[in-house]
Amino acid sequence: MKSIKVLPLVIVSSLIGAVVAVILIVTRTLPTQASAQATNIDNLYIYFLAFSGVIFGIVLIVLLVGVYRFRARPNDTREGKPIHGITWLEVLWTTIPFLIVVSCGAFGWYVLDVDDVSAEARKDGQNVHIVGYQFGWKYTYLNQEVGLQEQDQLVLPVNVPVRFELTTNDVMHAYWVPAWRMQMSTTPAQTNHTSITPTQTGEFEVICAFLCGVGHTGMNSSIEGSIIPKVRVVSQAEFEQWVAEQKAAAEQSTETAQTTDAAA
Amino acid sequence: MTTALKPTLARCLWTTPLFAVIAALAVVIVRNVLGMDPVVQMSTLLTFAYIFGSIGFIVGIGGFDYWWKWIIGSDIDPNDHSQHGAYSWRDYFRFNTDHKVIGVQYLVFVFTMFLVGGMFAMIFRSELARQGSEQVLTNQQYNSALSQHGAIMIFVFMVPVFAGIGNYVIPLMIGAADMAFPRVNAISFWMLPIAGFIFLSSFVFGSFDAGWTAYPTLQDQSPFGQTLFQIGVIIAGSSSIATAVNFLVTIVAMRAPGMTLFRMPLLVWSNLATSALVVAATPFVAGAMFMAMFDREMGTNFFTTAGNGSALAYQHIFWFYSHPAVYIMVLPGFGIISEVISTHARKPIFGYRAVAFSSAGIAVLGFSVWAHHMFASGLESWLRVPIMISTLLIAVPTGIKIFSWLGTVWDGVVRMTTANLFALGFIVAFTVGGLSGVMLAVVPFDVSITNSYFVVAHFHYVLFGGSMLTIYAGLYHWYPKVTGRMYNEKLGRWHFWLTFAAMNATFFPMHYQGLEGMPRRVSDYAAEFAWSNTMISIASFVLGASTLIMFYNFIHSARHGKPAGNNPWGGLTLEWMLSSPPPVFNFPVTPRVIGGPYRFGEEGAKHAIIPEVEPAEVEKVGA
Repeated sequence: MKSIKVLPLVIVSSLIGAVVAVILIVTRTLPTQASAQATNIDNLYIYFLAFSGVIFGIVLIVLLVGVYRFRARPNDTREGKPIHGITWLEVLWTTIPFLIVVSCGAFGWYVLDVDDVSAEARKDGQNVHIVGYQFGWKYTYLNQEVGLQEQDQLVLPVNVPVRFELTTNDVMHAYWVPAWRMQMSTTPAQTNHTSITPTQTGEFEVICAFLCGVGHTGMNSSIEGSIIPKVRVVSQAEFEQWVAEQKAAAEQSTETAQTTDAAA
Repeated sequence: MTTALKPTLARCLWTTPLFAVIAALAVVIVRNVLGMDPVVQMSTLLTFAYIFGSIGFIVGIGGFDYWWKWIIGSDIDPNDHSQHGAYSWRDYFRFNTDHKVIGVQYLVFVFTMFLVGGMFAMIFRSELARQGSEQVLTNQQYNSALSQHGAIMIFVFMVPVFAGIGNYVIPLMIGAADMAFPRVNAISFWMLPIAGFIFLSSFVFGSFDAGWTAYPTLQDQSPFGQTLFQIGVIIAGSSSIATAVNFLVTIVAMRAPGMTLFRMPLLVWSNLATSALVVAATPFVAGAMFMAMFDREMGTNFFTTAGNGSALAYQHIFWFYSHPAVYIMVLPGFGIISEVISTHARKPIFGYRAVAFSSAGIAVLGFSVWAHHMFASGLESWLRVPIMISTLLIAVPTGIKIFSWLGTVWDGVVRMTTANLFALGFIVAFTVGGLSGVMLAVVPFDVSITNSYFVVAHFHYVLFGGSMLTIYAGLYHWYPKVTGRMYNEKLGRWHFWLTFAAMNATFFPMHYQGLEGMPRRVSDYAAEFAWSNTMISIASFVLGASTLIMFYNFIHSARHGKPAGNNPWGGLTLEWMLSSPPPVFNFPVTPRVIGGPYRFGEEGAKHAIIPEVEPAEVEKVGA
């Protein structure tokens, strides 16, 4: 017991930390990865868990062992050793965290770069304007061949990069689709941008992540009784069919409106 | 003189309404003269009434009495100590210039506010306990409760509580008789009850419900209570700036002979760094609040969309304070931890200079990270990577501190007092908050989960697991000094273990909720979050109840605890050389500092000596 050396203890505790990190990584419960970006971001998260587990393991175990090993007995009048520092150790525990955060920065910068598909989307992807309002979203498809205005539901073709322009009619909202690992605010008086490549078909939750007033809670398609439609990703063929249907419906309603006008 | 004319709380009862009514009348007269319609515009009238009523309160409590006498040329004595010191409990309820009394006033007041702020958390946790909307609160009330919780905890608890601890301890630690500006110090304190009152009185006017960040343009839609939030923040901010100036001057100019910068205890170092941060950053939040208030009440267009204002500009200015504010709320805590750990582990702080410089490093770097709150706000896109890197770098000095504390424990003789338990618990909890902070600094990860419960978990680990546990450590550490009696160790341990367990049970699952897609500031959630929210609510009630143990312990022990003696912990810093509680004017003779503050384990080593006669006379004798 007296012979606990620091270095072996640090190695053992970092190994225990690594085991915990592996458990956390294996048992992670994230929403489905429904975009190309989600995979990259989850890899970041796995990297974070890996070094966090090791660091937390070292801090916790060294602390617990230290406190137990060097605990004071009742009426103990001993004093600790007058050590004021060990320079090489201090340099070490400055350098290693520095390298870790630099690696995080580099990894993050890389992911930020590859996740941005706005250039591809501009060229031959979809471009959608999202308007946030109290309390819901409206979608306008900017590509000429789609050309749909003010839709209530976002429907997108799978594997096609999409660029979003986001604005708001009133207050700040944040457009969050956890399955895409994508969030972007609609900030008053400006247009925000983000991009995504959906890689999975199906329906995904869309959530307003920024407090926007009394209806904020309900601006979440996963809430029971919410009137917000989920985001729908479909095959290219289904998407084209949906566009045609929506156009037909729109024309019909304009015709009806014109007939009503004429009748009046 | 009757009590109604003496500087007392009784005098406030008429000066406050008097100033408020005069301001209201002035508004009506000005509007009438300018031909504005309507002449009686309630919100403008109330804005001015509140601001001038606040000044009336300070006048009533006697904040300006001395200066007023000086202005009108009546007799004043610069050595007048009639307002100094507490000789009965009544002296705690008046304008008092003694830093020790002010310290106690701060702590009692802010902990009252802590209970109120905590109560708001319990209220909205009860709404969240079961799935379903508007079960306990309407959505409007829910938003008000969460905004009040944030505003109260930050502006009238977490920021001023460190001013309270610093007020009590710092002049003692540096061997000073008091703070540099005792009257300013007293005014700083009395501004806080005003701010607290203004926050709570906003319920009369619909409260404020745009969150503690109160972004435009949502705050433009809020009822008049939102303006009161802004006035309250401005007043609490002014108090904070005045205190910081006071600390800066006190620490720079009033240290005992021999106390060089590198003989200062680390609490003094960290307060020096914090005060510099406060002085430089707090004017920004006050500015943001003034501009937002002018937008609401005077028709200006700083942040409104209608007038081509920029809503994003508010976020920049707000966070330029509010991120440094995070360090303002935790740096003094780091100082407390250094004091507590080295004293209770009987060992010098490992790497004293590195710990001191890392405080300064955090304070400087703290100014370059504000925009990481805005990665998903449509921030100027070039700013994202630089801000990500500076945010990541700030983990390095923080890490140095954590490892230095571990190094301090190692090879020490660790006494498991309640104060030390909280300090050790802090190291564990703060490491969790720090690691999730590193994760959130990375832009693509941040934009995938920002504004979710992951963020709520992160900042509660930093502010509760971090700041709050340091505050508890400090309270238990200096309680014997303040009251002269020991607290009950057994109850203290119960408090620690319950708080620590309940804190982790409350905040740890929130990481997972956020990752799985639960946004913050919502009163209802998807079915998959039902059981975890129920569990969190129960844990949060235990957390709330656990604080009551401390209140009982402190109140009961103040009368019935064992006498503590001068130095129950065997500390070496100056405050432990005085009686408990210390004499009204602190040191009878100015102490002389002869060595570092943490010379544990050195045979016969001393931090300071208190000479038999005044040092000036010693020098004369020596010459």
